[in-house]
Order: sequence, then C-alpha cells, then structure tokens
Amino acid sequence: MTAEPLPVSTPASKRTEALEERPVNLDGFVEEWPEVGMVAMDSPYDPTPSVRVADGVIVEMDGKPRAEFDFLDQFIADHAIDVSVTEHAMALEPVEVARMLVDPTVTRSEVVEVAGGLTPAALLEVVKTMNVVEMMQALQKMRARRTPANQAHSTSARDNPVQVAAEAAEASLRGFRELETTLGVVRYAPLVAIALQVGALAGTPGALTQCALEEATELELGMRGITAYAETISVYGTEPVFCDGDDTPWSKAFLASAYASRGIKMRFTSGTGSEVQMGNAEGRSMLYLEIRCILVAKGAGVQGLQNGSISCIGVPGAVPAGIRAVLAENLLASTADLECASGNDQSFSHSDMRRTARLLPQLLSGTDFVCSGYSAVPNYDNMFAGSNLDSTDYDDWNTIQRDLQVDGALRHVPEEELLAARSRAARALQAVFAQLGLPTITDKEVEAATYAHGSQDLPMRDVLEDLKAAQSVMDRGITGLDVIKALEAAGYSDMAHTLLSVLRHRVSGDLLHTSAILTPELETLSAVNDANDYAGPGSGYRPAGERWREMKRLRHVVSASNPEEEIG
Amino acid sequence: MAVTLPDQVELDPGSDYPLAAHRPELLRTPTGKPIDELTMQAVLSGDVAAEDLRISPDTLRLQAQVAERVGRTQLARNFRRAAELTALPDDLVLSIYNSLRPNASTKQQLTDIADRLEGEYSATLCAELVREAADVYERRDILA
Repeated sequence: MTAEPLPVSTPASKRTEALEERPVNLDGFVEEWPEVGMVAMDSPYDPTPSVRVADGVIVEMDGKPRAEFDFLDQFIADHAIDVSVTEHAMALEPVEVARMLVDPTVTRSEVVEVAGGLTPAALLEVVKTMNVVEMMQALQKMRARRTPANQAHSTSARDNPVQVAAEAAEASLRGFRELETTLGVVRYAPLVAIALQVGALAGTPGALTQCALEEATELELGMRGITAYAETISVYGTEPVFCDGDDTPWSKAFLASAYASRGIKMRFTSGTGSEVQMGNAEGRSMLYLEIRCILVAKGAGVQGLQNGSISCIGVPGAVPAGIRAVLAENLLASTADLECASGNDQSFSHSDMRRTARLLPQLLSGTDFVCSGYSAVPNYDNMFAGSNLDSTDYDDWNTIQRDLQVDGALRHVPEEELLAARSRAARALQAVFAQLGLPTITDKEVEAATYAHGSQDLPMRDVLEDLKAAQSVMDRGITGLDVIKALEAAGYSDMAHTLLSVLRHRVSGDLLHTSAILTPELETLSAVNDANDYAGPGSGYRPAGERWREMKRLRHVVSASNPEEEIG
Repeated sequence: MAVTLPDQVELDPGSDYPLAAHRPELLRTPTGKPIDELTMQAVLSGDVAAEDLRISPDTLRLQAQVAERVGRTQLARNFRRAAELTALPDDLVLSIYNSLRPNASTKQQLTDIADRLEGEYSATLCAELVREAADVYERRDILA
C-alpha cells in the first residue's frame, strides 16, 4: 500500500522526541559515495586481485602492469610480498584463507606465511568474506604478542608538566605499558616529555614513554633518551596523500632504520579514512587503501603499526560497516605479523553504547595494545582531541574486564596507592627541575597535582618561563642521563635505577623486536619470547592466577563474609 | 679474549632472547664497553656518556639474526640497514631523511648520497635503498 505523504508540519511523536534526545543522534552519518572513497570496504572501484611473477620480480599486481605501478605498488611488490609464495597464495580462494584465519587448528605462522604472498586486493577479498565475530576469532590468534597490553594518553590542556607527571604515575600504576603525550604549545615538548618520563617511574616500573611531534623533533628527543619509543610516523594509502604528508615509502623506511640505529623502538601509524579526509582517495575503499599502508609498514621492516582509523575514526564511523572495516585493519596488521596498537584512541561517538560497541572487538579479542591511547586524563585535557575512553571510564573498564574475564590490561588501584604515586611523581619532578635549573615547582603545585582530576585543578604556571626553560633543555643538550643523575642526587634512587635500566635496553636492542614491552620487572616481553600460541579453547592467553585475582577487585565489592564491609 | 663478531655467533631465539638477560656477554656499547659496565656508579662518576647508551652495529646484526630465525625477513633487513647507520652522526641521518622526502632532491643529489653512504660509511644496504628511491622518484616525477 502507498502511504499518504505526511504534511511537513506534522508534529513528532513522543517516541520520536525521546529518540531525538538520544546522544547517538548527535553523531554524523553519511551515505556511501564510492566515487570519492566514502565507502568502508566494499567499493565497485577497488581492483581485482592478480599477480604475475617473472624472474623473481612481481610484474603485475591487482590488474596493473609494473610500468604503471605507483610508488606504493612498487614498494609493496618489491619489499612486502613474499615472491616465493605469492603465486601459490593467490591461487587460493579468499574464503579458504579466511577459514585458515578463523580455524584454531591452523597455526598463526601458517597463516602468516600464506598471507605474506597476498596482494592488497587479495587481502581485501579475504576479509570481505568475514563477519565481525569471525574477525575477532581470527584476531585473538593473529595478535603477535601472547599477553595483551594497553597504552595511555597523558596530556594536559595547559601543557602542565606537574600534572603530566602525576598522571603518568597513575597510568603506569593502573597497568598501561606505554604512555604517550603531545602538546598544545609544541615548544613545551622537552619539559612535558621529561615530566612524562619521570612520572612514569613513580608508578609501576617499565612503562615506556613517547612524545608525539613532527618526525625530526620526535627522533631528536628519542636520541637524547628523554623518550623511549616513537609512534607518530604516518603512512598513507595513495601517492598524492603520501606526498602531501611530505614523505614516501622510502623516506619512511629510512626513518625506520634511523630509529633502530639508535636502539629506539618505533612503529608506524595509519588508518582508514585518512586519504578521503585529505581529499585524494582515488575512488578506492578506505580499507583497500589501509591495506596498502599495512604492507608499506611490513616492507619497511618496521616492527609494528598503530592502526584502526586513529584520528580519522569519524570518517569510517559515518559510513555503513565502517567499524567492521576498522576491525579488519587491526586483523590484517596482525596477520602481516606486525605489532598492532589498535586504535580506540579518538573521540568517536556521543553515545556510550556506541563507543563501547566500537571498543569490544579489540578488547575481547585482545591486541598488542587494545587502545593506542586511552585518555588517562579527562577528555578536556586530551591534546589528541579526546579519546574513545578517558579517566572517568576506569571503573567501567575494570568492571567489563571482571564481568567477561577478559584482560584489557588495566586494574583497580586503591586510592592511597594512587595518591602516593601521584605525589611522589610530582615531588620527583620538582626535584629534577631544581637539579636541572628549570623553573620552580611549588609545594602547592605538588599538592594540587596529587589530588587533581584535570588541569583545571592545578595553579597556573608561568608559561613564558617554562618555554624559555624548554628551549634551554634543547640548547644545553640535556639527555636522559642528566635526568638519571638528577633523580639520584635528589634521593629518588629507585627511579634513577629504573630509568637507567630502560635506557640500557637500547644497548641490547631487545625492545626493537615485534610487540616488545617491558614488564614491571624490567624484562622484555615480545613476540619472540611471548609469541601468541592461541590454538582454540584451553590454549593461548587467559587471565588466571594473580592477574585474575587482581581483575576481580573493583572500587566497591561487598565482602562475602561480612555484607556490611567492602573489600578494596 | 677477542671480541666475538656477530656472524660467528649462532643464536637460538628460544634460549638466547632477550639477549640482555641470556647473552649479556655479547653486548657492548658503540664505545666498546660491556653492557654490564653501565652501572649507576659509572653514570655518577661520569664514565657513561650519552654515546654509551646507544646500540652497536654488532648488536643490531645479532638482533637481525634473531629476527631472521623467527621468520621476520623485513625486520631483519631493517636492523641490518640500521647497523650501517650507527656510524653516521645524528645530523647526517636527519639530513638524508629530509633529502628522501618527495620533491626534495634531484636524481644527482640522491645518487651522491648513495655514493657517500657506500664510500664513506660502507652502508651498502642504505645506499641501495637510496638508489632505488632515486629511480622510483624519477619515474613518478617527484624529484626536485
């Protein structure tokens, strides 16, 4: 039957009014538009898989002869794809490879070998046959490191180093193994990077720190031992956008070697939606372009990749099946045998239900870093423009872990331990600043940082003095060694020893391997000595023993023996 | 005792990795100090400089061997390029990186960099990467 068109002025029903009030309706949604690349993973304009090898060289890939390869095609064909297996792998039906991914009796290394021979279009066809549950099943096997971990954002809307130090201490105590900061005012970087490093030492030892900056500056802070690793090394899926980012696969491959030559852990960054956001997707689907990024990372020989749309999550989030495509990115990075820091690091939705649904695939499967930036500060302080999770979500996160017995790598920490670590971080930074001749941190600031929720709870600093001092850190050539000496001189001997151990790891190179983190005992855990051995029910990583006991603790849990009492 | 060269050591990733824990005797700083000498006392007495907290080319080649043995070909190759780059000063590393950006160099400039890498630093793998870039950049019209 045909409905009568309603007059324009028809009032909305009470139901509609209620639905209109729901936060999800503040989110943006658009129709697919494949011609400009506004399509997640199923575009009529994506190439058809093909490969041809002559004399050990790929001479045709995904329907294009070698003479027409753009620079990504050539880099991928020559450096990422295993020529010795490509013809065999490409002969398999996509669904056969997808079944290998899902089937727990097929080992991770068997899948890695076959996938190593697949072209970008072929990898796309494989994941197009998979629904999200199949992708999650595959991801728990394909994650490189057996034990999942998590990464925090520790930033301040005022670039306040005292706040960042306290937050870094709390974040490491809560379980994060990597802490990332960035700046509102870039010139603040040296002071905030020092604060992040010092603060991390006051919590659980071994959390590695980074400061996201322009490539050359980020490398310099790393070389000085003020930061421990780097991640903001962006790659893109089309040639024009790669060039707009002022890089090529060769410049990025060289940069990867530059980091390794100084013993510094590093991963690349990419994500669906960046090309369409930068206006040149060449009419390809977001996921096809992201697969090219994954293979550039593989070919460059970098150990890992931060992907899962990252700062462009609003783009795939707006189109149908976009969040499925984001999961597929993480799965394919892991299948390329790369460390995967799997997104969940950018404000994504006004709806709590929707941001949780977006998180669950990575949290339930487990990835090398479930969030590549869980905001350890309130989102108003998050200088990466807000994360999918922030410091007000800690109790929800811990409860979800406990409900589902899934390890999201965080834990509940009693108030007195948090306050002690936050205070110690701020005091230690006060002492380090004094030792290094940097602007004074007052006792009032230490006190405020200890009890603060965000930068609004701290006194203002003299920004001009701080910026002058930040410049002097660079001019005077202050390094991680100076921070060690300052900590030791001020009586923070344990923290000084921890930092020395972290920096000594550069000499060994152990942290350069895939998915490497430091344990609280300062031992390296990577995909070499903690390789994922998932092989179906009863195998692989499962939270048990002391870790499961820790996960059972929440802010309010009623005692079994005395219902009047809460156990902390 | 003579210093052991990385190609004379056969590493078993299962028992030798992490090298800091299981094979510390193989690890030296670029200045030749054994890793065990990087103590707090040595830091405080000024016996450890920033250059001591860097990785040596030999260690990178040992780690390349570990990567190869666990099937990570490209990672190993990156470590071998990195081993070559340990000899270059920081500012030269950064300047080569900048030269490799799109539309930043002529073909001749890139060829000169490759020649210098090979001639002055025996960095043959890095030179190969730069030459390859020069060819691709020419074909894709992103030379200066």
